[in-house]
Amino acid sequence: MTAGIEVHGLTKRHPGARPDRPALQGIDLRIPHRHFVSLIGPSGCGKSTLLRILAGLDRPDTGQVRLLGRSPREASRRKAIGLVSQTPALLPWRTVRQNVALPGKVNRRAGKEIDSPDELLRAVGLEDSAHQYPHQLSGGMLQRVAVARALGLRPDVLLMDEPFSALDEFTREALQYQLLGLWQRRATTVVFVTHSVREAVVLSDRIVVMSARPGRVHEVLDVDLPRPRDRKVVKGPHMHDLEDRVRDSLQSAWKAGAAPDDLVPL
Amino acid sequence: MREETGIVTRVTGPDRADGANPTDPTAPTTADFVPPAPKPATPRRARRRSVLRPYVWLPATVVLVVLAVAWSAVARAHPYILPPLGEVAATLAADPTLFLENAWATLSIALVGVAVGAGTAFVLAVVVSEFQVVRRAVMPFAVVLNVTPVVAIAPALVVAFGFGMTPKVVVTAIVTFFPVLINVATGLRSVPLPVLHVFRTLNASRWEVLLRLRIPSSLPYTLAALRVVLPLSLMGAVVAEFVAAGSSGGLGTMIRNSASTARLDYVYAGVVCLAAMGVLLLGLVALVERRLLFWHDSRRSGRA
Ligand SMILES: Nc1ncnc2c1ncn2[C@@H]1O[C@H](COP(=O)(O)OP(=O)(O)OP(=O)(O)O)[C@@H](O)[C@H]1O
Ligand SMILES: [Mg+2]
Repeated sequence: MTAGIEVHGLTKRHPGARPDRPALQGIDLRIPHRHFVSLIGPSGCGKSTLLRILAGLDRPDTGQVRLLGRSPREASRRKAIGLVSQTPALLPWRTVRQNVALPGKVNRRAGKEIDSPDELLRAVGLEDSAHQYPHQLSGGMLQRVAVARALGLRPDVLLMDEPFSALDEFTREALQYQLLGLWQRRATTVVFVTHSVREAVVLSDRIVVMSARPGRVHEVLDVDLPRPRDRKVVKGPHMHDLEDRVRDSLQSAWKAGAAPDDLVPL
Repeated sequence: MREETGIVTRVTGPDRADGANPTDPTAPTTADFVPPAPKPATPRRARRRSVLRPYVWLPATVVLVVLAVAWSAVARAHPYILPPLGEVAATLAADPTLFLENAWATLSIALVGVAVGAGTAFVLAVVVSEFQVVRRAVMPFAVVLNVTPVVAIAPALVVAFGFGMTPKVVVTAIVTFFPVLINVATGLRSVPLPVLHVFRTLNASRWEVLLRLRIPSSLPYTLAALRVVLPLSLMGAVVAEFVAAGSSGGLGTMIRNSASTARLDYVYAGVVCLAAMGVLLLGLVALVERRLLFWHDSRRSGRA
């Protein structure tokens, strides 16, 4: 069976960076289709760079990327990639509903229908805001619009770069469960970048811990919490074991990577 | 953000948490802001009210009165420096059609000039922002054109195109060309990267990115350019009329001829007409901005 995402020997050095400090070095990943994977690691370890490469926005120097057997460019030609970034990235002059409908309006040659915008907005609980403009919505609502827009295509892979990091803890938690619900029904492969250990554990089947300078995969941890994950599952004692394991791994990842030049020593 | 969590965590019950205490003890001082009043009505009403408040209109009125008194004093002492204000008003009132006709002649030159100059600049900005080669080929010359005082070319244009409308329109078009070119080119490049990334992952064509993303994003810049360029176009038209005083009339021609016969009242009546037209054009841009840029930060912070 083809994997949801396959990465082999991927290296990436940004132009102008030090030759011995590539942003990504020797990345190998195999993510089964319909799995939820989180990327976590110290700042500057190349999580966003990896996500950009997966999205076909950036080219690797060496190595191969396959999304369900296709190159990222080919996948985006078929509109098979959903992208949600840290900022909602909506068009401010369009209503919420028009923003959600946008993926259906561009690149019609892909011949891909999107879900009805009204249905999508209902799924994220925003049917009442359909005719409002982005500036009339709160940050959490905007991020839900962005998620709805990305899911409308029923993408093969959904790439999310710290989508909830600018939100308060409660909003964030609510959006996590909402995302899980949506993901479970649509069954796409998700790569979710986060800085929060808890968020990674709550959401993922698998957590990829990265180390920095050069950016590498430090450790891959499986999360064996049952699905669907509700508040009861998350409150269980096993949750804390998992969180501790991820924290330990992050700690050793931090030690494994060279210290950033720009950090003031404690 | 508090409102937000209220909605999200209570998907089952629609009632909000924060609507519960309308009788907040701190309410009197912030009475306007406590209840979630209907959004669009509040700021507009507040603004309209504020225009009527003395501290808004009084400073400008005081300055106006002081200026008028000073003007009258100078006019009384030296009638060849400034005409009395009453005389200017009387001149305007005596033959309004004369001024209206000349104003229209100048305005039409200015508007045609803007249409040609700004229109060309807009199209060129799009081409320049899409093709690096064109950018390198065109921009140096655009800059040279900008730093050249156009008034210097005006007499040559009259020789080339005669005394009709053409040389005046050309001068106005040249004057308005550069600000629009630079602003629109900047605006087209000012697209937020995350949004561009979304378009890229959808494999949107260049044309789709231009039409759905770049041009709308550049709208605030385009309108800012128009705000600069429309008054500038009046200046261009008047200067062109000074140089090429043709049969078509216009305020520039009229001002020049009146000045040469020392009819200062006519000169200043013409200037008043020009100022009124400038204000009118600015008001027009402001109106368009309000309609089109309701989504832009500049408008929202202005209203808040
Ligand atoms: N466009 C770029 N040009 C040059 N260097 C870059 C560029 N983008 C990222 N880098 C460098 O690549 C490295 C990885 O950056 P990246 O943004 O992928 O990190 P990250 O893991 O997402 O960090 P954070 O958690 O802070 O978002 C950093 O050292 C950064 O300085
Ligand atoms: Mg990042």
